[in-house]
Amino acid sequence: MNVTTKPNAGDAAATPKRQLSDISVMVAGQGGDGSLTIASLLSAQFASRGLHLYSTSNIASRIKGGHAAAFLRASVVPTGCMGDHIDLLVAFDDEAVEMAAPNMAPDGIVVFDASKGAPPEGILADTIQVFAVPFGRLAVRDLGRDLLKNCLGFGIVSRILGIVDDAAESSLRQRFKRLPAAVVETNVEAFRIGLSHADEIGLGEGTSPWTVDEAEREEHLMIAGNEALSFGFLAAGGRFYAGYPITPASEILGWLQRHLPKYGGMAIQAEDELSAINMATGAALTGTRSMAASSGPGFVLMQEGVSQLGSAEIPLVVVDCQRAGPSTGMPTKVEQSDIGTMINGGHGDYPKVVLSPANQGDSFVIGAFATNLAQRIQGPVIIAMDRAMSQDSTTVKPFDLEGITVDNAKRLTREEVLKLEEYKRYKITDDGVSPWAVPGTPGGQNLVTGNERNEWGLVSAEPKNRNKMIDKRARKIETVRDDLPKGCRWGDAKAPIGLLGFGSAGPIIERAAIRLAEAGTDVQVLRPRTIWPVLDETIDFIRQCERVYVIEYNEAGQLAHTVSGAGAPKEKMVSLRKYDGTPFRAVDIANTVLEKEAAE
Amino acid sequence: MTKTYTPAEPIWCAGCGDFGVQGALERSLIDLNIAKHDVMILAGIGCSGTLQNNVGTYGYHALHGRVLPAATGVAFANPDLTVIAVGGDGDGFAIGAGHFVHSVKRNPNLVYIVMNNSVYGLTKGQDSPTMDSSAAEGLDSTRLALSIPGASFIARGFSRWSAQLHELTVAALEHTRAGRGFAFLEVLSPCVTYNDTYASWESMLDNLDEDPDYDPTDLSMAFSRGVALDAEGRMPAGVIYRNDGAVGKEAPPSMAGQDLNPAQHLDAYRGIMNSYAV
Repeated sequence: MNVTTKPNAGDAAATPKRQLSDISVMVAGQGGDGSLTIASLLSAQFASRGLHLYSTSNIASRIKGGHAAAFLRASVVPTGCMGDHIDLLVAFDDEAVEMAAPNMAPDGIVVFDASKGAPPEGILADTIQVFAVPFGRLAVRDLGRDLLKNCLGFGIVSRILGIVDDAAESSLRQRFKRLPAAVVETNVEAFRIGLSHADEIGLGEGTSPWTVDEAEREEHLMIAGNEALSFGFLAAGGRFYAGYPITPASEILGWLQRHLPKYGGMAIQAEDELSAINMATGAALTGTRSMAASSGPGFVLMQEGVSQLGSAEIPLVVVDCQRAGPSTGMPTKVEQSDIGTMINGGHGDYPKVVLSPANQGDSFVIGAFATNLAQRIQGPVIIAMDRAMSQDSTTVKPFDLEGITVDNAKRLTREEVLKLEEYKRYKITDDGVSPWAVPGTPGGQNLVTGNERNEWGLVSAEPKNRNKMIDKRARKIETVRDDLPKGCRWGDAKAPIGLLGFGSAGPIIERAAIRLAEAGTDVQVLRPRTIWPVLDETIDFIRQCERVYVIEYNEAGQLAHTVSGAGAPKEKMVSLRKYDGTPFRAVDIANTVLEKEAAE
Repeated sequence: MTKTYTPAEPIWCAGCGDFGVQGALERSLIDLNIAKHDVMILAGIGCSGTLQNNVGTYGYHALHGRVLPAATGVAFANPDLTVIAVGGDGDGFAIGAGHFVHSVKRNPNLVYIVMNNSVYGLTKGQDSPTMDSSAAEGLDSTRLALSIPGASFIARGFSRWSAQLHELTVAALEHTRAGRGFAFLEVLSPCVTYNDTYASWESMLDNLDEDPDYDPTDLSMAFSRGVALDAEGRMPAGVIYRNDGAVGKEAPPSMAGQDLNPAQHLDAYRGIMNSYAV
């Protein structure tokens, strides 16, 4: 550990500058320290350099306090995930250093708030350079407010990264533009104090140890999965939403409460998840495109309702923002352990589709697609999100808004109903989907029920009718099977080694594949976007590879079981599982695959 | 005219109180000249949860206890419909009790008719939440409703008193159709098989509609009368409490009838997208 606490200008200038095309930053301290402020200032700065971004946070499940960390990755090529190591750590306390140490890059830099003393000894590798500056103490001494340590720290960080002072100041002004002018100036002053301390420790302007590459500036959005999904639902005509607060699904409720009323829609905070799914079901009965969302604990409460949607043939999008279970589990941690529940959570046999976006931006596409698909199958379409997919933000290409369509499928207009001789809500059809007259339509009166019934909707337990009705409902999935979203492929389709995984694990798996390819391993990747039904592409992928690593966040290997149950050869599959609540790292996946391949 | 389903014959035992409820409802819809295609009846689970099959309107059979959330969703999404939720006391005050509290509080435009027989009939006679039993005291749903801020219409009918039941049903429908909100009508509707209470309930009832001194717009009077009657082993019937509810509040627009063509919103959607531009 090379600690710089006093002026020693020259050291930094003497070392050749390191040029980074891919940098991972962690800013951590006690909740309320403002870790997110420095991260968002850096985010704006990197974005202006045309870099692709990924940001995530690690927070305790409490309102304030607890240890909080913000992570940001900026890279010349899009990655869709965090890097293997932390290059730059901004630590407000010892705990931050302790947390980050195992993941610090050997040639990384730590900026430490030394207000309460020197950084902890013996934790960081000697090759790591540490700049210890008492941000907090300086902020209180010079400006009388501890929180200003963020802008002060940002001054030092911008010097480390070789950001021109003016550029750093303007992104700071941009970030605080909604605050009163006096507050902005105080923050700028803190930033300048940071710069002058940077000068004192040998980080003069133009003498930075690092510089970060620039990329061609493209039009990008920085968006989280929950936001993109909500937007997709709205764009495809979604107008009614009901939910109950739960991590990590609450952002959907918040987003739709903000936006739906502007389009004559409504998002309701229900008294519980039972109410949420049944309210959404009620709205859906009127022909209004509707959605309900939750996370594992609430999603299971909704299951009787999901079964009802399947039986009674009611279109609804139901979202499960998975988090680490079982039970209350680890609410703020990533896991993909509800796969079984999403596919088989409700009682009885009923048709359902489970979709999973390939990344945060794809959540828009999947949100819109699911909204239309629910109308087509008149039944539940479940979207499998996970903690990271839901809440992490990343840069994505702008959405194809013009490409969004509203598919009314077999909804009947007033005129169409009036022309019919008779109307049967559950008419048996070749494609399994019955024409649909919604309440308020003259002549379309019908009975919707989860009971088995005849074509008129009148209750019937007659065996022949029962078989016909079950078969009719099952046919709906075959009707849409070919249109279900295909997965994302990477690599040569003839490569013998396959990697399979979905959701937020997907982009990390792809980074692992790039590493493996660089190491000379011939590898290909499939990241399915349709989890149920299991598509032929998934089965074929496993059949055609010599070996496929099925990579997922759960202990039981739920994805592996799902695909093998659907016909994929078990003997070709190797299950790689993680359930400690932290995300995969590409380097670990690559190393595991290399080890296992070497042992073959 | 398009042929639709033929309304079902009721599954109820001869003498069941639910016949009276259905009769009052059918008469009221005719009296108010409401077309069947503009009505949606949602029903819970239980004997009472089959009423929607018998009337010829749009019908929905909800999950056990969830008729109120489903009806709320319908009412919010399509305010042009006359929304009627029906169910039993088990459906409403045991498995669905939480939704009852929040529905009164939320005050959506719908009529909720509970056929209270103080027993689980369809599952063959178990204790219900309104039954005084050795296990627990019986719940008075009207006093529960009175205690919830937002309550705008609370009434109790008796299925044997068909003239008053008809009046109460009309009043409930009018309350909701005028945009005042949630009209709660509990109907004492005896189960002749498991808990035949026609005679005992009739002797306990005090008809507030015939009491010139009773003011149903006075909340404290509604409470005190209920408590006083209870102390005498009696209970109120008629309109117990009413106010103007949501009158004057801006009603949310109908979502169901919207033109969803995305082209009309493209500029606005672009605005949302641009808010994420970096």
